[in-house]
Amino acid sequence: MVPADIVSPAVVELSRWQFAMTALYHFLFVPLTLGLSFILVAMETTYVVTGRQIYKDMVMFWSKLFAINFALGVATGLTMEFEFGTNWSTYSYYVGDIFGAPLAIEGLMAFFMESTFVGLMLLGWHRLTKVQHLVVTWLVALGSNLSALWILIANGFMQDPHGAAFNPFTQRMELTSFMSLLMNPDAQAKFVHTTLAGYVTGAIFVIGISAWHLARKNHVELFRRSVRMAALFGVISTVGVITLGDALGFIDAGKQPTKLAAMEGVWNTEKAPAAWSIIAFPDQAAQKNVFDIQIPGLLSLLAAHNFTSPIIGLKELEQQAAVRIKNGIPAYDALTQIQQMMQKDPALANPAVRAKDPAMQKVLAQFKAHEKDLGYAYLLRRYTSDLNTASPALITKASHDAIPLVWVIFWVFRIMVALGFLFLFYLIWVSLLSLRGQEMKSEAFLKLSPWMISLPFIACEMGWLTAEMGRQPWTVYGHLPTWLSASTHSVGYMVFSLIGFVSLYSLFIVIEWYLMFKFARKGPDSHETGTGGGSLAGEPAFARPAQRLNRD
Amino acid sequence: MFWRFIIYSIIGLVVLFLMIVLGDYGPWYFAWIVGTIMIVLISAAGGALMDTQEGEGKISKD
Repeated sequence: MVPADIVSPAVVELSRWQFAMTALYHFLFVPLTLGLSFILVAMETTYVVTGRQIYKDMVMFWSKLFAINFALGVATGLTMEFEFGTNWSTYSYYVGDIFGAPLAIEGLMAFFMESTFVGLMLLGWHRLTKVQHLVVTWLVALGSNLSALWILIANGFMQDPHGAAFNPFTQRMELTSFMSLLMNPDAQAKFVHTTLAGYVTGAIFVIGISAWHLARKNHVELFRRSVRMAALFGVISTVGVITLGDALGFIDAGKQPTKLAAMEGVWNTEKAPAAWSIIAFPDQAAQKNVFDIQIPGLLSLLAAHNFTSPIIGLKELEQQAAVRIKNGIPAYDALTQIQQMMQKDPALANPAVRAKDPAMQKVLAQFKAHEKDLGYAYLLRRYTSDLNTASPALITKASHDAIPLVWVIFWVFRIMVALGFLFLFYLIWVSLLSLRGQEMKSEAFLKLSPWMISLPFIACEMGWLTAEMGRQPWTVYGHLPTWLSASTHSVGYMVFSLIGFVSLYSLFIVIEWYLMFKFARKGPDSHETGTGGGSLAGEPAFARPAQRLNRD
Repeated sequence: MFWRFIIYSIIGLVVLFLMIVLGDYGPWYFAWIVGTIMIVLISAAGGALMDTQEGEGKISKD
């Protein structure tokens, strides 16, 4: 695409801030929905299999908190779908053909499947049999997680474009293989990593609130079971999160070398086996780490799963970007010519006419020869409209942009990883306490657990910052720079809407916290625990006639 | 009964076939399906185990 105008850098930055803020706010709600929905499934499965009232009481209590979170999560997610059109219109034009389908399916999953079944799950206890209600709860959990799948497929395309090609005649990317888009390795690993992170968030949330009640000896039987189920749920999920985090790093090492080098603070290319920095203070201007504590050989193992792969440093990646910028200039030049030729002769819009036009074929051949570096030429377009006369100094300046903001990515990544391992040790400890029946005797567990609730949310936010800031300066890695993707709004409009969104979303957070605190502290309603009392004399659902309604 | 058996068998075969295809083209998606079901069932088993432990007096009820 030949950009008609340069979007103001301030507008681009404000658009980035607005999307980042709305996405980060939204993702305060999403992980809990993803995780708590499957914890409800586990609780209700136990209820249906054992027939014990206590498990139904658990489902009813935790589903109340799920409902509060779900409603606000859907509300905050809505705006982002529209933001692509309002604030990122060039991006939407450029990749809308690919991005639109998963986004639309995500909307259908979230608003048709998920929301419909949430209503049945919350209000259908007396209308459905036990098994029917369990199926509905499974569908809510699947709907929640599958709606995340589609948005992560769209995000996977931004990280590592698959299943699309650039059309120089329409000047946009077009879908070539839906299966390739769907099975993108980045999307696969990111989906499982993200959903499992949600499971861990849900588990620690349930344990934290349960510990608060257990410390006060409220509904002991209900909350001890909640701790047991959530701890086992969480400990396996954490192993999965760490495994998939490693898989995602492995994929990034091959597809997004600048992200990997920024995450690890690697400025100079490291010979194999590369050392891994535990702690460092990256200095972007000097292109070095001020202070560095390293473990020899570990980075090659983590990033490439062997001891023989070197890790390319940011300085070398910047030099490679300069080469690709130069190579991309003829592609940009050809694209400009194609646009001018088609404006002069509209008949060239017909592929049959184009095929017989030698001038067009010559320009097209030039474009094809340099097409893979077109995105890099856009990095230079930011500084000059005449790319052919760009000086080496200007190309070097543009190549600096190919490197993301290292110190932020380095540290948010480490905070996420450190929290991930903290969760693993914490959840193993809680599982062992629960399996030995000692959770009520551990003061440390009862006091610490409520404070743990906020940590998985922080880890999830850090994960997103790593993924999205690490992809910079691209919205679609290697194809479309961020500076080119934004809409041409005024600064005043962006400031006004940013303040509006932040204020509104902050209000949502306050409402969420108020409602969560209120209902979590209140505990199960008396009618929820009044009938069952936790008797061991349960009646398994499968021993009953299939159509007997769930009236207990 | 016979037809129900046949229908469920066909559904089972189709699911197996889809899982094999998914395992080839989307190994992490496959892992998510199997893993999530496993996590849910282990969590559910943990609850049932607690009932048994309490019933046998291996852990106290409060």
